[in-house]
Amino acid sequence: MRKLILPLLLAFAAPAQAWDVGKLIKGLETAKKVVDANRDITEAEEVQMGGELAATLLGAAPLVDDAEMQRYVNRVGVWLAQHSERPGLPWKFGVIDHPHVNAFATPGGHILVTRGLLQRLRSEAELAGVLAHEIAHVLKKHQLSAIQKSLGTAALSDIAAQYADNTGKRSAANTAKLIGGGKELYLKGLDKEDEFEADRMGVVIAARAGYNPYGLVGVLQTLSESASDPGLGFLLETHPMPNDRLDRLDAAMGERMEELSKNVDNLPRFSKLRR
Amino acid sequence: MKIAITVLLLAAGLAQAAEMGTVLRAAELKQKPFADAAKVSDVTAKAAVEIVQRQGAWIQIKADGQVGWVKMLNVRTGNSQAKPGSGGGGLGSLVSVFQTGSSSKTQTTGVKGISKDGLKEAQPDMEQLAKLNGMQVTAEDAKRFARAGKLEDVKVDYLPKSADGK
Repeated sequence: MRKLILPLLLAFAAPAQAWDVGKLIKGLETAKKVVDANRDITEAEEVQMGGELAATLLGAAPLVDDAEMQRYVNRVGVWLAQHSERPGLPWKFGVIDHPHVNAFATPGGHILVTRGLLQRLRSEAELAGVLAHEIAHVLKKHQLSAIQKSLGTAALSDIAAQYADNTGKRSAANTAKLIGGGKELYLKGLDKEDEFEADRMGVVIAARAGYNPYGLVGVLQTLSESASDPGLGFLLETHPMPNDRLDRLDAAMGERMEELSKNVDNLPRFSKLRR
Repeated sequence: MKIAITVLLLAAGLAQAAEMGTVLRAAELKQKPFADAAKVSDVTAKAAVEIVQRQGAWIQIKADGQVGWVKMLNVRTGNSQAKPGSGGGGLGSLVSVFQTGSSSKTQTTGVKGISKDGLKEAQPDMEQLAKLNGMQVTAEDAKRFARAGKLEDVKVDYLPKSADGK
């Protein structure tokens, strides 16, 4: 009797269990998809996608063919990045061959400044101010979040996964979406609040690295002074007005960073570079 | 002809040298860029000034024929009426004309830079990206560079939106 019941019970139990497990797996898969769509983009994905966007900016204006200048800017930049909360990112800095004044950051630590901007700087502390502002955008993932917002979180997660695999299976459609989203962002600019935040963080990062924190203030005064210069048109279209930025820095800095203004301002190596 | 060019170049040089600004708040014009330096005179709010140079948190200005220092963040530069990219007028446009004219370094007029034209059409340049990646320096290298420039680490906290903590 017992022997008979047991197989019967098992016969009933097995399909029931299988069905339940199947449902469970299905449910888990759905749950996983939802989690995936809202997951954080990993650092590797951020670097890969940022590289694609940097390549696009470089497609518009290539690197200046001057190894000494590029090494100098990279050294200032990496030194600054060591004083941030993401020192281990593969930070890369480049001077691009364009006479207009502008600077760009793409996710994962790619930072590009134009030759036109470099030429208008007065000191290494001013260069540090500009680079630290761009570093802050990367730290805060301002560009990544903006692209995520415009493409949709789920869509960007899909694209990011393809970049992370790095198996060459990237669909042309996904790459085009990413580049399109990036271009839209760099043509439109970030939220004003992101720019004000990057200014506030930039002066601090520069000060931590031993530079006069007023370098960025000097650069913003230069931008304001030459506001009618056509070479600044694009930058001013995509950023808050320099005087608004100075007012915000004025409110944030007050007198609390004046002691640090005895930090390094300029060095002969900067003037030598600009010759 | 030579004289004309020389005169124009001189004019351009002067125009470029004269950086103009406005003082925001009434302040003491100091003899040196220090809070406890001797007073030269008083500067009134909204005074139009000529900028001479910058040092630390300070900016040297010429106001009413007097030269002295005020805090850098107490000065706003440029002509607030000028619209970006409009070419403006007065000294600013003279500078622009000269930069576009003879100096190949900054010739730009009519091009919206790496903007509309260039960026909209741009395609990823993977060779250039590889070049950028190849330029990366190590943290050790950057540290040596910093030591050579006598750059010292300083501990500083990030700033709240306004200095009174709000």
